[in-house]
Amino acid sequence: MRNLFLFFREHYFYFLFLLLETFSLVLLFNYNEFQGSSLYSVSNAVSGSVNNMFSGISEYFSLRKTNRVLIEEMAKLHSRIPEAFYTTDVNIFYKKDSIVHLEYKYISAKVISNSTNKRNNFLMINKGSLHGIENHMGVIIGNKIVGQVVSVSPHFSWIMSMLNKDSRISGKFKKNNQLVNVEWNGGSYRRGQVKEIPKHIIMVKGDTIITSGNSDIFPEGLMIGTISGFKNAQDENFNNGEILFSTDFNSLGYIEVVVDMMRKEKEELKDSFKSQ
Amino acid sequence: MTSRTVFFNIIRFFFLIFFQVLILNHINLSGYINPYLYIYFILLLPFDTPRWMLLIAAFVLGWSIDMFTNTIGLNASACVAMAFARPFVISAISSGPESLLGETPSLRNQGLKWFLYYSIILILIHHFALFFLEIFRFSEFMATLVRVLLSSLFTLFLVLISEYLLYPRGK
Repeated sequence: MRNLFLFFREHYFYFLFLLLETFSLVLLFNYNEFQGSSLYSVSNAVSGSVNNMFSGISEYFSLRKTNRVLIEEMAKLHSRIPEAFYTTDVNIFYKKDSIVHLEYKYISAKVISNSTNKRNNFLMINKGSLHGIENHMGVIIGNKIVGQVVSVSPHFSWIMSMLNKDSRISGKFKKNNQLVNVEWNGGSYRRGQVKEIPKHIIMVKGDTIITSGNSDIFPEGLMIGTISGFKNAQDENFNNGEILFSTDFNSLGYIEVVVDMMRKEKEELKDSFKSQ
Repeated sequence: MTSRTVFFNIIRFFFLIFFQVLILNHINLSGYINPYLYIYFILLLPFDTPRWMLLIAAFVLGWSIDMFTNTIGLNASACVAMAFARPFVISAISSGPESLLGETPSLRNQGLKWFLYYSIILILIHHFALFFLEIFRFSEFMATLVRVLLSSLFTLFLVLISEYLLYPRGK
């Protein structure tokens, strides 16, 4: 027993190293399970308030650009208000309008931290569960995709950017609705990879890829990007292509979180099938 | 270790964390290169720091950075690996007792060659652990290796600049 004790004392450096290293690696690889735990929200609260302070300063440098974006957005909205439409009395035939049912709602929020230089990039925004944001909601800017909410605290949300190894977005060709997957395997933040393009599809540079709406995260028809190059693989069943993202991930100021009002219904439908 | 040294190390600890989180984390050259100057703290710990303290300090340092980047455990494990290697690196590159002059490792006391070996090896260990743990797959080995080397060069550059600015020769 005494010898064991001496042994530990003599080699405590190695044991302490192993202990600390194991501890941090366990945390690292169980990262996802820790989301929502107290540990995670403490770190979110501390870093959130510091990032908030800092982005409050850096916000001033991008006022000009923010204004321009707002004006564009306003013009777009102006064209949607009832006064902008030529109305006829067609609607009079419908007594109860059950066709128009709000499916998506948007919550705007400010990006307070962002990165594009890591292999796995995340964003933090200044709204959280108090404002109605939940996990797995999609995040967009204008009509372009940004990422997906992976963790929420009361005042902040943590968003997995498209620029992440775990990020996989279901898209489709705008011209023929063929489904593909869009991923990012590092390198430049302007370009991603399009996977699983069926061989018979004829691609040209500049083909538009939009969201498919299959994933319950993004509505259909949002811009992902345009094909900027492709390779015809000889021995595989699918071709791969390179995509130029429409989103400029390095200059995200204000983004919108997509709230799917019918998500619960969709999930219940799926669950009811499973339980049968 | 005098209380003055402890005090300076604590100040340096906080300064480097905020410098890293607020400024350096926002720098990226050509989408690839990202300097991690905060490990300068581990490089500059005094020679007679107890070894358990070395590990604990590195762990707390990495952990603090992780809090801000929301990569729980990533920087902490890379820092602990680096701190673990530090005593071995020092004894491997020091030929005699004269190379351990002064209280802390520095360019001024140990000379350029010693300090370069010392910081290059430790920075490489840290960056290797950091970038490969972040990806955790070998399919992108070459791309990651390039990131490790370029970022290490950039970090080393910042460390040397800090050495020349903060501890000028012949003071």
